[in-house]
Amino acid sequence: MAKKLSRRTLATYVADRLIAGDAPAGVVMQLAAYLVESRRTKELGLIVRDVAYFLAEKGTVHATITSAFDLSAETQKAIEAFIKEETGGTTVSFDTLIDPTVLGGVKISLPGRELDQTVAHQLTVLKTRFKKA
Amino acid sequence: MSELSITELSKDLRKAIESLESDKSLDEVGVIVRVGDGVVWVHGLRNAGYSEVLQIETTDGIVEAFALNLLEDEIGAVLLGSDAKVKAGQTVRLKGTVLEVPVGPELLGRVVNPLGVAIDGGPAIKTKQRGLVEREAIGVMGRKSVHEPLMTGIVAIDAMFPIGRGQRELIIGDRQTGKTALAIDTMINQAKQNTGVVNVYVAIGQKSSKVARLVERLKQEGVMDQTIVVATSPSDPASLLYLAPYAGTAMGEYFRDNSQHALMIYDDLTKHAVAYRQMSLLLRRPPGREAYPGDVFYLHSRLLERSAKLSDELGNGSLTALPIIETQAGDISAYIPTNVISITDGQIFLETDLFYQGIRPAISAGLSVSRVGGAAQTSAVKSVSGNLKLGLSQFRELASFAQFGSDLDASTKQQIDRGQRLTELLKQPQYQPMSVWEQVVSISAVTNGYFDGVPAAHVKDAQAALLSKISKDHKKDMVELDKGGKPTEEITKAIEKTAKAAAKGFEEK
Repeated sequence: MAKKLSRRTLATYVADRLIAGDAPAGVVMQLAAYLVESRRTKELGLIVRDVAYFLAEKGTVHATITSAFDLSAETQKAIEAFIKEETGGTTVSFDTLIDPTVLGGVKISLPGRELDQTVAHQLTVLKTRFKKA
Repeated sequence: MSELSITELSKDLRKAIESLESDKSLDEVGVIVRVGDGVVWVHGLRNAGYSEVLQIETTDGIVEAFALNLLEDEIGAVLLGSDAKVKAGQTVRLKGTVLEVPVGPELLGRVVNPLGVAIDGGPAIKTKQRGLVEREAIGVMGRKSVHEPLMTGIVAIDAMFPIGRGQRELIIGDRQTGKTALAIDTMINQAKQNTGVVNVYVAIGQKSSKVARLVERLKQEGVMDQTIVVATSPSDPASLLYLAPYAGTAMGEYFRDNSQHALMIYDDLTKHAVAYRQMSLLLRRPPGREAYPGDVFYLHSRLLERSAKLSDELGNGSLTALPIIETQAGDISAYIPTNVISITDGQIFLETDLFYQGIRPAISAGLSVSRVGGAAQTSAVKSVSGNLKLGLSQFRELASFAQFGSDLDASTKQQIDRGQRLTELLKQPQYQPMSVWEQVVSISAVTNGYFDGVPAAHVKDAQAALLSKISKDHKKDMVELDKGGKPTEEITKAIEKTAKAAAKGFEEK
């Protein structure tokens, strides 16, 4: 039975190997084998989040941008510049997601951080504030 | 709806939206991994601090929680609201603040929950200041020894176990022995005697009906205007019960720090410890004695240490605490009672037996003590209550001994007789606190033997007659005596003369 390692330790290891230039396929196989052996496959999602977090700390940032409508190339460029400025990342990549439930505005999700400027979020905040009063 | 209100609403909305305009900085976020029983486990939020507020975005609005378990891979947080809409996978934001409540005079006369939200049906509370729920107690140099009296209006307490401003005096006893009644009488006395002391009553897991009755009574007695009630009911989440005394203390500290005096009543800390035990067990902290967590002592010591008498440099304010503890079958050696006894500056122990014998307040003279209040006792009461406690303790011992035989010498018999009169004198109906002069006159009438001819059954009548007569005949002297100074020879003679005259009407023929 493999020794139980914390998610943080596993994620740091994987991030370090990837940054060091190891082939992703090899690192993934190694992690998968450990998770299967230690019966921790359910934690996969959380470990991936942690890996993204540690990669971002080292300058490789992957973001998800959610909006109600398609974003223009100009806006996407501005967002990329914003992410670079905010995180100090050297390599920035992102996925775009169209979600009509956000109503308007944009949500930038980074590993461990987020900027939610959607109308849906602002309405939720407003709702809570009026409920309290 | 009138046009005016629509305009107002529109203005309010505009203001609210403007205040929502964010500074476009990134929030630190995590995700809920597990949720249940009012506790959430969060992945992420690596920079979260202990007791920091988290915000969970649900379909029904934002639910707040506060972080209590900071582990390597996840955070354990306790929800401050219902967990009905909180689900795994929801985003959690770090608010960037620790818990705060509104503080200030705007809270006077209001009933609030531990988050400072009004629950009395009145308008929303808007205060200029906010206070930290968890705050470090004042240090040694910021304090002064307790020296001003906090009159409870209860003769037995003011004479035998005096309480000073800044003191922590525990009220302990079984259920239904009059613990809350003592606290309420003390609050009423602050209004009746115009002491200027602000009351903060913290109801921890008390039935809503009981709190409603209490508020109604306080209104009737004219005390509510200088009182804040922080109420939690048994149906509230354990987190709110846990926060209630800390939130109430933050509200009381405002007055303490502004050169005023406040009285905290924690009703009761047994339920507080139980709520904390529930939270701790759900957070998977290891249980210790009686399943309480290891830091249950610190839970109460850090709370009660915030009660203090401040130094002249800090404005001379004070925060007095009357925590209440409920015992089981009079067992004061249980875990929580011994903890709180060792933290406080004395305790008032209420006995079930005395209560059912009709001796109310059922204060045990032998087990009660006030460790620092002696220095704060008014000279007037001190001058007449010198050996009251000793006399009463000796009487209770002699009385039980005398049950075995009838051959008693004259001095023992006299001691028993006087003890019986003293016991009668110390009986006091609820909601009728006594002023300083009433206490001094009553005590000296019995301890000096002026009532020796009055049968014990008629002592209360003789006392009423004496008080009524002396207030009529020597009004000026009584006003002087009420200031707390040692009674002059003239006043002493007036008491003797009036007491003897009053006793005559009740003596056995």
